[in-house]
Amino acid sequence: MSFLTWAALGIGLLVAVPLVAHLLRRRPPDEEEFAATRLVPARAAVAQRKTAIEDRALLAVRALAILALAVLGATPFVKCSRLSLAREGGASVALAIVLDDSLSMRALAGSEAEPTRFERARKSALELLEGLEPGDAASIVLAGDPPRVALASTTNLDAAKATLESAVVTDRGTDLESAVKIAGELLESVEHVDKRIVVLSDMADGGEDAPPLEPPAGAKLWIPLQELRGPRYDCGVVQADRTGVSVAIRVACTPTYVAQAEKAGVDVERRVEVRVGDRVLAEHKLRVDDTSDLVLKIPEPSDSESEMRLFVGLTGEDAIRENDTAPVVSIGGQLHAGVVSDASSSRPPTGGAPMVEQVFSALDLHVQLRPLSTVPDRPEDLAGLSLLIVDDIPGLTPGQRRDVADWVEKGGVLLLTLGPSAAHAPLGSGFSPMLEGLVRWTKDAPKGVDQQSDQFFGEAFEGLDDITPDGRAKLDLGPDNPFEVAAKWSDGAPFLLQKKLGRGQVSVLTLPFDPEKSDFTVRLGFLHFIHRLVTTARTLGGTARTTVGQTWTFDGFDRVKLERFGAGDAMEAVEVIASPNGRSRSASPNRIGLYELTLDDTVTTRVAAMAEGEADTRPRRVADEQQGESLGGVQASVDISHYVAIALLALMLAELVVRLLSPRWSGQAADDDRDAAAPEAPSVDRDAA
Amino acid sequence: MATQRRVGENLLPIDWGAISPLRLSAQMVAEGVFAGMHRSRRRGPGVEFGGQRPYTPGDDLRFLDRRSLLRHDRLMVRQFETETERTLWLCVDASASMAYRGPDAPGAKLAYAALIGAALTRVAVAGQDPVGLTWLQPGPEPLLEEVTASFGFAAFERITSRLESARAAGDLSDDATAIDRSVRTLARRSRRGSVIVLLSDLLDLHDDALRELMVLASGPRALVLVQILDPRERDLSFRGKVRLKSIEGGRVVVTDADAVRSEYRERLAQHTDVCRVAVEREGGRLVEACTTDDAVGVLRAVLQAIAEARR
Repeated sequence: MSFLTWAALGIGLLVAVPLVAHLLRRRPPDEEEFAATRLVPARAAVAQRKTAIEDRALLAVRALAILALAVLGATPFVKCSRLSLAREGGASVALAIVLDDSLSMRALAGSEAEPTRFERARKSALELLEGLEPGDAASIVLAGDPPRVALASTTNLDAAKATLESAVVTDRGTDLESAVKIAGELLESVEHVDKRIVVLSDMADGGEDAPPLEPPAGAKLWIPLQELRGPRYDCGVVQADRTGVSVAIRVACTPTYVAQAEKAGVDVERRVEVRVGDRVLAEHKLRVDDTSDLVLKIPEPSDSESEMRLFVGLTGEDAIRENDTAPVVSIGGQLHAGVVSDASSSRPPTGGAPMVEQVFSALDLHVQLRPLSTVPDRPEDLAGLSLLIVDDIPGLTPGQRRDVADWVEKGGVLLLTLGPSAAHAPLGSGFSPMLEGLVRWTKDAPKGVDQQSDQFFGEAFEGLDDITPDGRAKLDLGPDNPFEVAAKWSDGAPFLLQKKLGRGQVSVLTLPFDPEKSDFTVRLGFLHFIHRLVTTARTLGGTARTTVGQTWTFDGFDRVKLERFGAGDAMEAVEVIASPNGRSRSASPNRIGLYELTLDDTVTTRVAAMAEGEADTRPRRVADEQQGESLGGVQASVDISHYVAIALLALMLAELVVRLLSPRWSGQAADDDRDAAAPEAPSVDRDAA
Repeated sequence: MATQRRVGENLLPIDWGAISPLRLSAQMVAEGVFAGMHRSRRRGPGVEFGGQRPYTPGDDLRFLDRRSLLRHDRLMVRQFETETERTLWLCVDASASMAYRGPDAPGAKLAYAALIGAALTRVAVAGQDPVGLTWLQPGPEPLLEEVTASFGFAAFERITSRLESARAAGDLSDDATAIDRSVRTLARRSRRGSVIVLLSDLLDLHDDALRELMVLASGPRALVLVQILDPRERDLSFRGKVRLKSIEGGRVVVTDADAVRSEYRERLAQHTDVCRVAVEREGGRLVEACTTDDAVGVLRAVLQAIAEARR
């Protein structure tokens, strides 16, 4: 035991002082005048009366007062497990709380009796808010992918508390870096000198080997709650696509699952099952390595089962139950993309497949790529595509233009790359209404893309500022053109343009994919460009499945309704948010599962799938200085002296009341009253007596 | 807690409490008693036959009832009644212990004695009887002024005035001559047929005090002792360990009041019985009173005792 423990015990012993003092009291009894004294038999004092407690209430009050004094004296040493900030010089603090609401936070914080990681993190966030003082500012960022600002910086701590209390865990992926970056931007707007970012997360963002989070400039980053960062062992169904009788399944598991799970005594014998209702159509023993891709053959469902939905589930139990089941998506599970290009010109000089096809293969985007020689001229051929890439062709025929425009308006994503061929379209050919205006090919291409004008490539811009094309396409666009310039050449001419057309999107790149014309296709930005196109195509409805958390947009519909199939096929309504102008609506599904989407009179289904990285619950590294006690801790001192002081005052008041109510004191008061009522009894005589 | 009083030669003021004002209180008590219940009658020579009694040597042979002797073979004496005044002497104990007032009492014992005395005076005055006042007080010189027996409402005024100005002082327990002196003076003044009402707590008296007091009951006088106690003296209503100091005599006793209460009550009852037996042996009566008792009831008891006392 420490010195403080002994000291506390010593002070606690003082509680016995009033009792001992009472027992040791040997004051002589009060002398009373009594005329019949000679008739009173003398009797020795009874020992029992000396030991009896005369006034228990008074003794209790005094003992409590000594206890309160002991606590008051020990106030600097009072510690509690509440998470609190360590302040520097008592200055006000601007605090940004990054609360991870991703799927991995559904795992239990510790043993079975403890709450989930998210509840633990939210409770800690509330404790942090409790420790803030008037003048401090708080903001809240949710770190589920994509990160969201739940509350901008405010000194209204009640609002922050209400926001935290209403926060719920989701099935989203994790994006801690962006969340911290957003938190830093929120702190830039406040005047406080002491700016802190607190990350309450399991740090499982799929990047065990990733470097520690970098604090934004001017802010200190604190990552407490180390108990949340232990590995949990989990597997989840990422996708399940059905093509005829084949179901392609991808299962993601925590790396080193088998070794760690066996070490932890977790059952590793797991199976993947394809179920319809309660019947298992197919099953397979799971290989619980990092990811498992398998294809199961299922029998033709019976007539009674033909209308029922198929699900893929995992047997056994793991850390997160919510991702053990996923609906099977028919056909549309894979994104179908068409590429129209001149094979001879788009192949790299070293041979092999065209660059764009190589990019799709390299990114493993789970896209079924279909090379096309020409743009399909039948609507049913286009209907199967979600993404169409048209690489430098000499325009479209009127029929093609009409069909492609219809297809885009229904949600297709079209990429037009413009090169010499596009600039030499024959009469009657063109790209209207996808692209209005004249296309010209010029040789005076400047060097590189202007990074300042970039609104598209972001961190993948690297290298684009020094591409050296042999030429570029120029567009004569009118001032009222609907395009947004996503990136410009270094001379200010458009490099990449985008516009919405109905539910779909049209992107125009002023360079062809031909590696002879430019080195754009070998740059990092090109990979990012293709990835964004695929993501956009999935989001706009080209496919029925997106990663949970991604926003679904619905333009041009009067009535939009989105519901999730919950437990027992109970429908859970999902909020659909209308844009300020009322023309666009969007929704962000927070839960994994099957959704029913009603667009006017059309009813479709969509699937929100888990982010593959969420199965990896291994935490990323945390720098030592980011979890130092100088920033705060769970055992910070708490000043309770004012509470104890109030308790002491209350005890003093209680003693006064007890004394007033005590028979001995009330008897004295009665005597005093009676003496006051006697007119012939001068007080001087009474006092003298 | 009892009010502390200083004992000694100093005159102690009386704690009148709820008994004040004395005049009004005494009249109210007296009005509660039937004014005519007291008939001042003396048996002896007269015109109206008043009954018979056994003959005792020394009786006037003229009143020997010969018919009774012949009929019952017993010597009986015939008695006759005549209406005459009967002097009432109030003797009030003014020693220091009478100034005591306990926590539950409406006033001091002396105040209560004054109330009974004044009410008795009022009743006697209404019956056209003379009333006088004397004190039982220690010391060679009387500290309080006495009132000679007189008639009418003026007598009531004088006696009430003296009672109101009463002060307690002195220690009867160590003054063996004080009682004897007071008793002899009163015996000298009281005529044949007088009634003496002694108002005292009968505590703190020296050993021979009772015998000396019985002088008042001898001869043609009737003596009524009214023992006035405080409730605390009656019940020993202290709690726990207590150190008691006698108001007169300086006796100190340390005791446990709860433990000895019943024994004390027995001793007090014994003491009262001794007094009662002594006074009744002389034809007198003893009335017990507590300062919390209804004064009207006590006054009735005193009047009853006067009527029963030897005539």
